[in-house]
Amino acid sequence: MFTKILSALMLTLLLAAPGFAEEPSKQAPQGAALVQPSASALQAPAAVPGQPAAAAPAAKAAAPTGGMPTKVKPNRAITISMFMTIIGITLCVVIWAARQTKSASDFYTAGGGITGLQNGWAIAGDYMSAASFLGMSGLISLYGIDGFMYAVGPMFSFIAILLVIAEPCRNAGKFTLGDILSFRTAPKPVRAVAAISTVTVSLFYLIAQMVGAGKLMQVLLDIPYRVSVIGVGILMVGYVVFGGMKATTWVQIIKAGLLMSGTVLLAFLVMAKAGMNPVGFFTDIVGNQLIQDHVRMNVLKDALPKAGFDYGQRFMEPGLFLKNPLDQVSLGIAWALGAAGLPHILMRFFTVPSAKEARKSIVIALFINSSFFFLINIIGFGAALYLSPQLISSVDKGGNMATLLLAQLLGGGAGSLGGDMFLAFICAVAFATILAVVSGLVLAASAAIAHDVYVNIVMDGKADQHTQVKVARITSLFVGLAAIVMGLAAEKENVVALVALAFAVAASGNFPAVMLSLFWKRFNTAGVISALLVGTISALGLVVISPVMTYPQKIADDAKKIVSTLEKKQQEGAVLAEKDLKLLDKSRTDYTKNNGQTSMVGLTAPIFPLKNPGIVSVPLGLIAAIIGTLLFRDRRAEDMFDEIEVRQITGLGISKASDH
Amino acid sequence: MSKESYNWSEIARNPKYLELKRKKRVFLFGWWIAASIYYFSLPLLSGYFPSLFKIKLIGVINFGYLFILSQFLVAIFVAMYYTKVANSDFDRLTDELVKEIQ
Repeated sequence: MFTKILSALMLTLLLAAPGFAEEPSKQAPQGAALVQPSASALQAPAAVPGQPAAAAPAAKAAAPTGGMPTKVKPNRAITISMFMTIIGITLCVVIWAARQTKSASDFYTAGGGITGLQNGWAIAGDYMSAASFLGMSGLISLYGIDGFMYAVGPMFSFIAILLVIAEPCRNAGKFTLGDILSFRTAPKPVRAVAAISTVTVSLFYLIAQMVGAGKLMQVLLDIPYRVSVIGVGILMVGYVVFGGMKATTWVQIIKAGLLMSGTVLLAFLVMAKAGMNPVGFFTDIVGNQLIQDHVRMNVLKDALPKAGFDYGQRFMEPGLFLKNPLDQVSLGIAWALGAAGLPHILMRFFTVPSAKEARKSIVIALFINSSFFFLINIIGFGAALYLSPQLISSVDKGGNMATLLLAQLLGGGAGSLGGDMFLAFICAVAFATILAVVSGLVLAASAAIAHDVYVNIVMDGKADQHTQVKVARITSLFVGLAAIVMGLAAEKENVVALVALAFAVAASGNFPAVMLSLFWKRFNTAGVISALLVGTISALGLVVISPVMTYPQKIADDAKKIVSTLEKKQQEGAVLAEKDLKLLDKSRTDYTKNNGQTSMVGLTAPIFPLKNPGIVSVPLGLIAAIIGTLLFRDRRAEDMFDEIEVRQITGLGISKASDH
Repeated sequence: MSKESYNWSEIARNPKYLELKRKKRVFLFGWWIAASIYYFSLPLLSGYFPSLFKIKLIGVINFGYLFILSQFLVAIFVAMYYTKVANSDFDRLTDELVKEIQ
């Protein structure tokens, strides 16, 4: 068995190697650079003939002309060796975990042998995605306090999980969402619907992560998008197929540890630079000329300063980014309820031996994440003050590179060893973050297919441990491959909608179904199915007609505005700068390409005004659950309520829960 | 496969169980609702009463910033308080109940 795993692992590595080595198609000596990370060709891009055009501006920026960098340029040798270290460590963990993964319960829940402390770190890891590590600090650095407000949702979502989800689920479930929902209902249809919902939610989330990972690695390592997606995908599949939940958990713990160290260090350096004086730090921000200019010109679009208006103080006030309060409430609902309904989070409660440990793990995760988001706020404001919003947005419009740029600066600046090392470390942390989050998602989706659909629907629960593990591994492989293919296909797609969607579906379908299963006696098969169907469909339906989708007509209209402004300038005899000429060209193409086109569902403009559907879809899912339940009364479900209630409150029969 | 070793409906009528159930329910849902009210007051106040958020309290640090920080503290407080009550009260009642049944 073990030799088989080892040989398969080698195969994975072999597959991965050409995946990474494919990059030499652009730069000749890179294959060698991977083997010998110290190869200097990478450090002096300008010296390499045939260098891709994209590297040119970065090289220019690195020159001591004092020009603004237009790109983050990590030192590839150091970065790649750090990536390889992380890959090496995690693969050791996988080999170790693979030797201990023998039964279905080992594969899905690490045999229930994870401690509360470990699980707490792993859950915290699930929450600290690259989006929060890079995106949130970026938002703060560009829009001030509104970015910080974003952090409250993920932190608060632990309250619902702690009080009403974690312990009851630990006591009443086994491996999956389907286990909880099918407890006292007709198992087959409920498991089928639960599996569809789990796979949908996990895949949405997974695709968004894969596309994000691909784009991030593309920037950080300067490798093609498809290479980074395939590389991340192969590692993720390797972790899950061989190591199951144990490897996934430890990868998550390692990543959370690295991420917290990086975050603490960055925040500490920011505060050290500010003389450990928070009031002085914020006074400097408010008084910073560049931040004031940014707020005035880029955010509020005041060409001339309004007399007496404090643009610096405005950075500390809400409303620069979050414009619609209803949308914020809707997003708040998605966080408060959705996180508790996400299958890969639910699954984590089954890895601990008791409800008490489940409780402990949530409290620990809450502590870690509160500290994390608090530190991110220091990093974000620090980036605004020490880098300036102008520089951050010139590198990436959404501010996603703020953390990385700040690490480079605080380590000693671009080109210095300290700067290169710190930047490479933070890049490696972001990479580990992505790997850990996608692995958990693959595991949750494959558990739903293998455990709910195959073992409990197809095989009527009659499958021995060996078969169960085998099926689970094969399923993980295919889920992973599907994610890679979809990640590749979605390169040019707008994936922001997918994250909103995953949370909205979890909040509107899964959350009411789980809650009512645990707390409402009359709840039954019809209730579960209507909650999941109506919750999912309404969330999906509202998102596809919401402003988060891409509306080509709007792009065309915006492009037309730019074209006419610039053409007017030209007619007036002004000579356009090279930048403007390029913009004119691009806008003309954008216009012809998008004019008359419609969104995915044939709309020219959004019908639903909010980006987050929760405020409408959660009540719809809940009402559907209640109506479905009341229409089809089920005595058996009512009779079995005593059992699920006693189990969830007392934890009685927990060891037997794995037999039912 | 499962052997019905527990009479679930009998346990469900046990007075100790009913006490535990009632206590847990009041505490958990009560605190969940209270914490949610505090949480949703953030988007509502910042969206509809932005002037409140602009009041400077410590130097340039305003009410809004401190209110966001307080959200973290409230969540941590609820978690700590719940852990204390659960460890001392709920777990003790559960243990007593389980001993009585077995």
